[in-house]
Amino acid sequence: MHVYEVFTKRDGRDEFRHVGALEAATDELALVLAREGYLRRAEGDRLWVVRRDHVIVADDNFVAPNADKPHRHHDGAAVAARRKASRQSQQ
Amino acid sequence: MARSWATMADFEDFLDGGGLVEVDDDMPDAYRRAVFAFIEMHANSELMGGLTERDWIPKTPGLRHKMAVLAKTQDEIGHGHLLYMVAADLGVKTRTEMLEDLFAGRSRFHNVFHYRAVTWGDQVAIAFLVDAAALISQQAVFKNCSYGPYKRILRRIIAEEGFHMRLGEDRMMRIAEGTARQRALFQESLDRWFWPALQLFGPDSKPDDVLLRWHIKSERNEVLRDRWVQKFVPMLQGYGFTIPAPDLRWDAEARRWDVGPIDWAPLKRTLAQGGPDSARRIREAADNWERTAWVRAALSNGDAAADGAGR
Repeated sequence: MHVYEVFTKRDGRDEFRHVGALEAATDELALVLAREGYLRRAEGDRLWVVRRDHVIVADDNFVAPNADKPHRHHDGAAVAARRKASRQSQQ
Repeated sequence: MARSWATMADFEDFLDGGGLVEVDDDMPDAYRRAVFAFIEMHANSELMGGLTERDWIPKTPGLRHKMAVLAKTQDEIGHGHLLYMVAADLGVKTRTEMLEDLFAGRSRFHNVFHYRAVTWGDQVAIAFLVDAAALISQQAVFKNCSYGPYKRILRRIIAEEGFHMRLGEDRMMRIAEGTARQRALFQESLDRWFWPALQLFGPDSKPDDVLLRWHIKSERNEVLRDRWVQKFVPMLQGYGFTIPAPDLRWDAEARRWDVGPIDWAPLKRTLAQGGPDSARRIREAADNWERTAWVRAALSNGDAAADGAGR
């Protein structure tokens, strides 16, 4: 038996979304169980199952540095102030 | 790895702040065991409920209702699958260990599945009263549950339980609008199932209940039980049925129904596997598991070690 992670999606809407996991003996049975467990009432029309031991998981420390990169953002405040000042000086 | 907390106080602050615990978090062991026990009991109850439902497929009157019972049986067994997976991921027991414990009578499942459904009226009473009670409990857990994987699985389980409850209500209304014999049949079932359904919520929550403190449950048992009473007592009376509670009274001042004192002894007996139908139910479930071993073996390409299987 293997553990499979299950992803579903509705056509034209949303991204593939992780909905849960299941245990199955083969890939084919994993698909059957996923369909009957997670898409019983047409909650989606696309289905992926991925063996859990095939998922490549990033370590938190690997992901963490990008939580501290303010220079990759611009909230527009400085531009807005200049625009406003510029409009007022033209009036 | 994911988050960890230096002290229980830090962890409880995180939970009080609405934090969601994920499976790879380094959660305190006591929390892991509490959330596991709760989900294991839910999983067991879905499986035992599904097996009960299955018994009624051949006996359900009419093709439309037969198909609905078939679908409901699949739903319940499916819920068992999903919940055993969420429980197994906590690493306390494998799925095989959980099933072995259930079939050996070592673990718990809901009180209502320790009674026998004798008539179609019983089946209707279960679908209406018991499914509604289960739904009220699950909604309260879902609302604020601190364990993320369980909360997400509950969303879909609740959607499906909603179908079951409406199906039960549909059937109850057909019986209520039926012949005197049909009404008498349902009244008998109501007499049998009213108290077990009410007892499903359990006795009043203790002040130090960790399930509440750790936001695994978000409402006290007595609050949920009262919600069920206030909804179903007037509804059943409205259809002309008698509530089998001798001390039932309407409190005009508080504008609420009071069912009177509750005898918790029957609930306690079911928790010790000593309910009226506990032994037969557990034996049937265990026999069923053995009878279907060849299917699991065939699906696992005859790999006996993978039978039923964990990790």
